[in-house]
Amino acid sequence: MFRHLTVRLGTLFRREMEQELDAELGYHIDMLVEQNIKNGMSPSEARREAIRVFGAVEGIKDDVRDNWLSRFFEVAAQDIRYGVRSLRRNPGFALVIIVTMALGIGANTAIFSVVNGVLLRPLPYRDGDKLVVLHQGQGDPVANDIGFSPREMEDYRQSRSLSDVVEFHNMFFNLLGRAEPARVSTGVVSPNYFDVLGVKPIYGRTFVAADDAPGAPAVLVLSNKYWEHSFDGDPSIIGRVFRMNDKPHTVVGVLPPVPQYPLEVDVYMPSSACPFRSSPQARASRQFRLLTAFARVRPEATLQKSQADLDIVASQMQKSYKETPQSPGFRAAAVPLKTDLTSNFTSTLWILLGTAGFVLMIVCASIANLLLARMVRREREISVRAALGATRARLLRQLLTESLLLAVSGGVLGLVLSALSVRLLVSFAAKYTPRAQEIGIDLNVLFFTLGVSVLTGLIFGSIPAFARRFDVAPALRDGGRSSHSSQRVRSVLIVAQVSASFMLLIAAGLTLRSLMTVQNVNPGIRTENLISWRADMSFDKFPLTMAPPERRARVAAYWTEYESRLRAIPGVLEVAGGGTFPLNEVDPFPQGLIRDGHPLPPDRQPPQIDVRFATTEYFKTLGQPIVNGRAFAPADTLTAAGVAIVNQTAAKQFWPNEDPVGTRIVGGPGQFRTIVGVVADVRQQLDRAPKAEVYVPVGQTTITGTTWIVHSKLPLDELTRQIKTVSHAHDADLPVASFRTLAEVRSEGLAPRRVVVSLIGLFGLLALVITAAGIAGVIAFSVNQRTHEFGIRVALGAQRSRVLALVLREGLVLVTIGLAIGLAGAYVLTKLVGAVIFEQQTTAGLTLLIGTHPTDAATYIGVALTLVLVAIIACLMPARRAATVDPMVALRAQ
Amino acid sequence: MAPKSDLLQGTLDLLILRTLSGEPMHGWGISQRIQQLSKDVLQVNQGSLYPALHRLEQQGLIEAEWGNSENNRQAKFYQLTREGRRQLAEEQKNWERLATAVARVLSGS
Repeated sequence: MFRHLTVRLGTLFRREMEQELDAELGYHIDMLVEQNIKNGMSPSEARREAIRVFGAVEGIKDDVRDNWLSRFFEVAAQDIRYGVRSLRRNPGFALVIIVTMALGIGANTAIFSVVNGVLLRPLPYRDGDKLVVLHQGQGDPVANDIGFSPREMEDYRQSRSLSDVVEFHNMFFNLLGRAEPARVSTGVVSPNYFDVLGVKPIYGRTFVAADDAPGAPAVLVLSNKYWEHSFDGDPSIIGRVFRMNDKPHTVVGVLPPVPQYPLEVDVYMPSSACPFRSSPQARASRQFRLLTAFARVRPEATLQKSQADLDIVASQMQKSYKETPQSPGFRAAAVPLKTDLTSNFTSTLWILLGTAGFVLMIVCASIANLLLARMVRREREISVRAALGATRARLLRQLLTESLLLAVSGGVLGLVLSALSVRLLVSFAAKYTPRAQEIGIDLNVLFFTLGVSVLTGLIFGSIPAFARRFDVAPALRDGGRSSHSSQRVRSVLIVAQVSASFMLLIAAGLTLRSLMTVQNVNPGIRTENLISWRADMSFDKFPLTMAPPERRARVAAYWTEYESRLRAIPGVLEVAGGGTFPLNEVDPFPQGLIRDGHPLPPDRQPPQIDVRFATTEYFKTLGQPIVNGRAFAPADTLTAAGVAIVNQTAAKQFWPNEDPVGTRIVGGPGQFRTIVGVVADVRQQLDRAPKAEVYVPVGQTTITGTTWIVHSKLPLDELTRQIKTVSHAHDADLPVASFRTLAEVRSEGLAPRRVVVSLIGLFGLLALVITAAGIAGVIAFSVNQRTHEFGIRVALGAQRSRVLALVLREGLVLVTIGLAIGLAGAYVLTKLVGAVIFEQQTTAGLTLLIGTHPTDAATYIGVALTLVLVAIIACLMPARRAATVDPMVALRAQ
Repeated sequence: MAPKSDLLQGTLDLLILRTLSGEPMHGWGISQRIQQLSKDVLQVNQGSLYPALHRLEQQGLIEAEWGNSENNRQAKFYQLTREGRRQLAEEQKNWERLATAVARVLSGS
């Protein structure tokens, strides 16, 4: 199609330009003739002389034509036509190259589309680059973020370089008015939240200032996903009224399908509608630090300026309020929203892009090798063309055109492959970042693919093109036998492939080993025959307006009752209740721990500890042994003395060289809890070390959102049905959801790691296959070239096994050199990259190597043996052909 | 035959541009004008003139139009583009600098 078009266009222009050139030169000659006649020559003599003076018309025409731009396209069209013809003559060869290329480009395009969607594209919000997330905390405010209280938000609004400071916090509320009570994840936000982000609703409206006024009717805005899933995208939802927190809430708007930051929620409500946020205590307290703060940097201000402003506000707050942490290292920080949203994914992505790049390098070397082999076969053709007057430049151009043709075809196929994998990639990236939905094939990705394809084509095309000398005579004389220089280039390429594959396989091997280590890690709990679910009490059940002592008692009684109902289910062995449980993604809020009799200096913040809640059978259900003291007992109620249990890490950290049992910690103003036991450590995440934890009995708290686990050998669906029935009988408005076995939870927690490891492994496998094919190709080629030699050897009495060994040795020498270089490369790489990315990742990012040393000997030996084995198999086929050469046939063939 | 001098490389472009700085001209006219202005010292070889004209046209320094010549025949007239004028000024300056320098060396001062 394209070819015809260029050719047609070229010829169209050509005809006109040729006519003009004829006329122009003709005019010049005519003028010469006229001049000659004027000088006294006869007309025929004048014309002869004019033509003699003018010179060879065709030569001048040729020189002129060389200056025409269309000439370029004409030659290109010719090259393409010729290239297609020559490739069509050898479809198998073309197919192998295009498929190899497609795999390399597909891998890179797929990973780049993720990088592009998540890291490169601007946020899909108005001036997304001006949006920042605020953090405040000790030392590094991002890592030690303590959150913001409503009154602190007011103070930070004084920063002159920030135009809007808006709040967000996430709550789970019960939404009543649908067939079943539903637990909805709710974003509680400032009324101008959506205006600051620049999000317009698709139906209805977002919030206005009046919605946030005290006593204003409660309103809801639905997220697009929740509206689609739960209301089938029904536009008449606007105006529907649901009961939440003992109040009617009217739906006023539906959001467009924008990614939701900082996390996906079902519905949004203004801050006045949240019973916690709007309570007088929350409004008054400077320590009600529940909020996440977003802000917009003024158009004329810079991030540095706003950072300086925040520092001023933070230090002023320290001077004015004793509730503000008084330590000298207390700071606030503004981080671009984009950075904040992707921070734990960035390094993983660069690793993946790097490994994909390695695959492409191997692909490139492999194709260059194939082309080189083909060049040798085309020696005669090329020599003939050179002899007929094609210049070296012209021949190079022809060869590069063919390479580009192959590269771009492979690139297009690769693009198709990656487009098919986009959905898979989105679900993978969604485990890391809310930006996952933005992943797709856009113009950036198209340009990337085109650019990389062309570049790859130029590289793999120019290696064989420049490895050849276009000497006419020797090629014709030798009858088209390979010269030594090309054989050397081929060997170098194989060595490069082997070493790159080795490094890639080392990466795959190390991460795989690490995954297996993590998978086999003992989390410190049992996971068999345990099922977990969430149960969240309605806030209107025991409103905050109740007297606190009465409310505390009612809440505690509510859960004690629920626990005993669950235990009464026949077949249920143990019942555990708490806030969250090990191996799931939900972490509890850390709090400061102060020991009784160990007061802190006034300028110090108490060291942080994770506070967890547990019912009496919690440790027994999960199989967490009590190593010292006792577990919680039914007697540990509100009326009894406050108790707590710490884990071993906490015991070591807070009670060094001391027995914590019997000592007391501060549990509130004038309140203490006695440590009654020490429990064994648990890994809350398989890939993270245990943290310091303190457990508090559920019966002595006012917890409303709970997680339950029962130990039972009943069939799952039967058990789930029973639990639902019992829960409904306990409280018809109690939603129970997220039923998962602990084995599932354990496996799901490792899903992102498994995907990363599978991707690296897939790339490694790809590299291995391509390299094996490359080795087989090179050896087969060399055997072909040496058929004559082998024929002579066999004729002179060489054993067939001797010939076999000869060929194998040739392959293994290359592989050994490749392995040595790869070993050095892998060592340097793990030293450079491994130290930075693999091990020292302290933030939430994925630490790829856990429990596996980057120079793990078993991995290195295993990978090396695999490569050697594959190389032997790859060499064996051509080697056997060499060994079975019939000397008569081989000699006669020459 | 008039005394002949080979043109320095790159000089032909300068001469063509200079010749065209006045009015549009066809190829024949350009060769005649250069010969005339140089008092027959410089003779432009047609074999270089036409490739040069087409090259300059591709470079966008001159543009061509078909028009009627003095003897009322169709001829291809070339004229400078804006780019071409800028290039002419540039090259003229270079040439003058070179010529002065060469003259200085030759006079030995």
